Order: sequence, then structure tokens, then C-alpha cells
Amino acid sequence: MMEIFTSLLTSGISLATPLLLAALGEIIIEKSGIINIALEGMMLVAAFFAMYVALISGSPILGLVAGVFSALLSAAIFALFCVGAQADQIITGAGLNIFALGLTGVLLRRIFGLTGATITAPTFTILPVPFLQKLPIIGPALFTQNALVYLALLLIPITWLLLTRTRLGLHLRAVGENPAAVDAAGLPVQRLRFAAVLIGGSYCGLAGAYLSIAQANTFIEGMTAGRGFIALAIVIFAGWRPFAAAAVALLFGVASALQFQFQAFGLKVPYQFFLMLPYILTIVVAAFFRHRIQAPAAMAKSYFREG
Amino acid sequence: MKLFSKVLFAFFVLLFISSCAKEKTATNQFRVALLSPGPVSDAGWNAAAYEGLQRIEKELHAQISQIETKTPSEFEEAFRDYARQGYQLVFGHGFEFQDAAAAVAPNFPKTVFITTSGNTVRPNVAPMVFELEHATYLAGALAALLSQSGKLGMVGGIEIPPVTSTFDAFEAGAQSVKPDIKVNRSFIGNWEDAGAAKQAALALIDQGCDFLIHNADAAAAGVFQAAAERNVLVFGTNKNQNDVDPQHILASCVSNIPAAFVEMAQLVRDGKFEGKIYRLGMPDGVVSFEINPQLQSQIPPAVMTRLEEIRRQIIAGTIKVPSKV
Repeated sequence: MMEIFTSLLTSGISLATPLLLAALGEIIIEKSGIINIALEGMMLVAAFFAMYVALISGSPILGLVAGVFSALLSAAIFALFCVGAQADQIITGAGLNIFALGLTGVLLRRIFGLTGATITAPTFTILPVPFLQKLPIIGPALFTQNALVYLALLLIPITWLLLTRTRLGLHLRAVGENPAAVDAAGLPVQRLRFAAVLIGGSYCGLAGAYLSIAQANTFIEGMTAGRGFIALAIVIFAGWRPFAAAAVALLFGVASALQFQFQAFGLKVPYQFFLMLPYILTIVVAAFFRHRIQAPAAMAKSYFREG
Repeated sequence: MKLFSKVLFAFFVLLFISSCAKEKTATNQFRVALLSPGPVSDAGWNAAAYEGLQRIEKELHAQISQIETKTPSEFEEAFRDYARQGYQLVFGHGFEFQDAAAAVAPNFPKTVFITTSGNTVRPNVAPMVFELEHATYLAGALAALLSQSGKLGMVGGIEIPPVTSTFDAFEAGAQSVKPDIKVNRSFIGNWEDAGAAKQAALALIDQGCDFLIHNADAAAAGVFQAAAERNVLVFGTNKNQNDVDPQHILASCVSNIPAAFVEMAQLVRDGKFEGKIYRLGMPDGVVSFEINPQLQSQIPPAVMTRLEEIRRQIIAGTIKVPSKV
């Protein structure tokens, strides 16, 4: 019984990690008053470049760096449009998602041939943490994972600290609530938002790299499979709070792991029901633990100084 | 007004570009098109069809075209589009294309619509069914003969008849040599999510399965990854995947899809096409079961003899492999 629980948690954490990373990044971006629906696209671009660089260099670490860098570039493009040119954020985000799907598809076919090759890229392997992995139940689940999972776990408190305990975090939140006041105080509104998009984008880079060089060891067109949008929902369910986002992501991950265990167990229930399970469970829990936190007041609104 | 003139301008630019792109067509050249349900870069199901199309271009000097379509409305639109342009043969690569083919076909009697798998037949619509079941039946028998735990697992993409049918045959093959064997299946709901496929495979391994088979196309990368992490053996499907992970892929269930595409195109070009179900299996040499030479040593000679016997009986037709499609 305990073993099943541990394997459920292990699998759940590994499914939750990319969602968590993307959600944390999105919290930072949305707190600054920008809504970035291009999480999916940024992750996909990062997944591709992480795989490609890991493959040609033989080093998953270089792959990770390339993944984060490529996501930063996509985030910079997004910020140029939405912050610099004050374009509509939803339209730009949707455009970026489609662009990412096309770009990675074209590159994959250019580099690996039209009909593809089965790519096997070097990956982050499981790295048990001494002593901690011996803890009952949660030890093996939390501490026999790969390095990126540990990084994601560390980023939960770091993101929280950044937003609530640093000057930059205070400024970012202020920009998201009342950019005019921030402007009046003499702070650079657009530059702060630009910074938030870049920081959030790098989180998406980690999430994308996780998919291609930590979870699977390959790149597949469209392999993000909607995770960017689930992360978007997690941010809202969690009320823009990093620890709550971790809890919701973990819940979703464990629910997904549970449905695979149910299927593997050979229960004679249509599998579509099991596939629905994580979504239903998350909605039910979110409905029970309702929060009254409002979205940042200036979210999705471009800031123009009133002249 | 300003917006309207901008949109109008963009429209004319597009019109201009598309008129430039208009292909020069030889009037009576043989033209073949392919509708693939996913990217042809998947090194699997779709890639095999595209290879077939490329061979048709080379060997039959046909003009070819391919489009990726995801939804039933896109299927119909693309079928109609190609037929209107005068393509003599359009492949819809999958079970899901048959309704769209049947809906469009009566309006375009000069175009032949082939769906790979299915059972819908019209004067100019025919399914080409790969009996991969012949090979998965053998895989099931081999897995059951070698399994220590008495449990086998299957990971599928979407639960559609061609997939469940290969799984049913795998199960039947396993039970034919070991009636009390347990075979469990798991589906991920798409063909791309390797991460989900990996967790589905790990869950099966957690339940004690020591042999896995997949029918999940590109997402199978996750199944192979799980097999490598837990050191269990796995079967490849559709293409020969033995090289993907020579340490863990024991054998592959292979459909020679490109060869079948060329053969079909030849029939259509020569006017020998008939509206009927074309079944292509092990006896036709289109389907085969390829054991990975690097792991051949893991199969005892007695098991190998038994396997050969089953293979002979499938080809001779004395074993009826169950098939739903």
C-alpha cells in the first residue's frame, strides 16, 4: 500500500514539475499587469532548443541553458510587442503560440529530415539526495528525482521571496495594480513590465527543457500538449500565490498519476473517464477552497501615460 | 473605413501571393495527395505514409502533395480541395478519414479516395487495412513465453479500433500460450505527449508488468524511456524501431506502409482499382515481426521454435488472428 502511495507521489511530482515552473513564471508576469497566454509557445521553443543543443553538445546542462535562452528570446519578442508597442496581449500571445508550433516544426524537419528521425537526446538523470531519500513515503518521492525537479522546488520559496520581500517584487506588484501611481513615483513602468516578462519567460524555458531533456528524451511537434494552458488555469486557481500554485500543480500531477495507476490496474471503466479525472478533481478542489483574491487590477491593460 | 481599406489591401496582397504560387501542372500527369492526421516528422505512422508518397513521386513519376489535417471538417475540405484540383488519388491516412471520404466521394467520381484502415467502401472509396495484428499476436505470444511476472502492459495513444485491435491481438497471442496471463492497457488520449506516455508505462511497470507494447506513435518515446529506466523489455510498432533503444526493444511489429502505398497507387494509375477492402498482412509480406538481433540471445531456442511455428500458422491461415477493422 505504502509503495503504491510513494510511486503515485513520485509520478505526480514529475508530472507536476513543468506545470509548476510555467505557473510560477506566469505569476511573476501577471503580477506586473501583463497576461501572457504564450506559455505553451515559449515552452515548446525551449523544449526544441534544449533537445537540439543537448544532442549536439552531449550535455543536458548546455541544453538547459539553450532552452532557457530561447525562451528568453521568445519572451523578449512578446515584451517588444506587448510592452514596447503596447499591442493587445491576448492576440500577441495567441500569435506567439502558433508561431512557436510552426517554427519548431520547420526546424525539426529542416534538421532531422522531413519524415523525422527518432532522436535520443542526453537527459538529466535521477539524482538521489543522500539521507533525505530515506525519509518514509515522501523521501523517495521528493528526493529521487532529477536536478530540474529540485530546482523547481527551490523556485517556489524563491519566487515568493522575490514577489513579497524584495524591492523589485514590490515594484512589480505595484505596476500590476496601479501603473499610473508607479509612474508618478518616478519608476519606469514599461521597463519593470519588460523585466517581469523576461523573468517569467526564463521559467517557461526551464519548463520546456524539462519536457524534452528530463521527462522524455526527445522532441515531438506539439509535445507541450496543452500544459501551458493548464499552468494558466493553475495561476488563477492559486490566486497568484506561489505556494498555492505548487499545491494545485501537485494536486493535478497526482490526479494524473492516479488515473494512469487506475488504467494500469485494469479497471473496466472507459479510459476517457480516467483522462477527465485530473481536470474534474482540480475544479472540485478549487471550488471548495475558494479564495477572494482578485486579479491584479491593471492586468491585460497596456499603460499609457496620460498627457 | 481606414480599417476596411487595410483589410482589403491585405486581401489583395494575399491574392497576389497565392496567384504567384499557383503550380504549373502538366495536364495529364498522375497526381497523388496525402492527408496526414499528424506531423510527417514523427518518424512513425505519418512519416511512413509520407515516405510512401515520396516513393510514388519517384517510381511512378507522379506529382504529389501533402497536408496535415486534424478535424473532420478539415478532412472533408481537404479531400474536396484535392479532388477539385483533379488529383486522381487521395490518401486519408487513418481510420478517422472514412466518413469524410464517403461524404465527398459521390461528387468526384474521377478521384479515388483511400483510407488506411476502416471499413467504408464506395465505388471510388476503399480502405487499405494493414493487419499489424498478425505481428502483435506474435509479440504477445513471445512476451507471455518470456514473462516472469505473468503480467504484460500496453500503452496506446487514442482508443480507436485500429489500436484496440492490435492490442486485442497481442492479448490473444499471449493467452494462446499462457491462458492465465494478465494483460492491462492504458491510453494517454493523444499521439504527442511523451511525458504522459512515460508515466502510463511506469504505472504499468509498478503493477508488475515486465513486457510492454505500445501503439502511441511519436509519444512512444516516453514508453521507451520508462522501459530503459526500469530495465524492462518493450516492443516497437508500425516501423522497425529496434535501433531506437537496442538494449530494451526486443522486437518490432512492422507494417511496410511505403510499399503498400506504391502498390495502391499503381493499381489506381493502371485503372485496376476496385471499391473493396484491401487487406495486407503477414501472408502478403507487408506486415512482419522483426526481432532485434542484439537481444536475440535473450530468447531461448525452444521459445524461438515455438514462435516460428505460430508465425507459419498465421501465414498459412490456420491461426485466425482476431481483427476488428
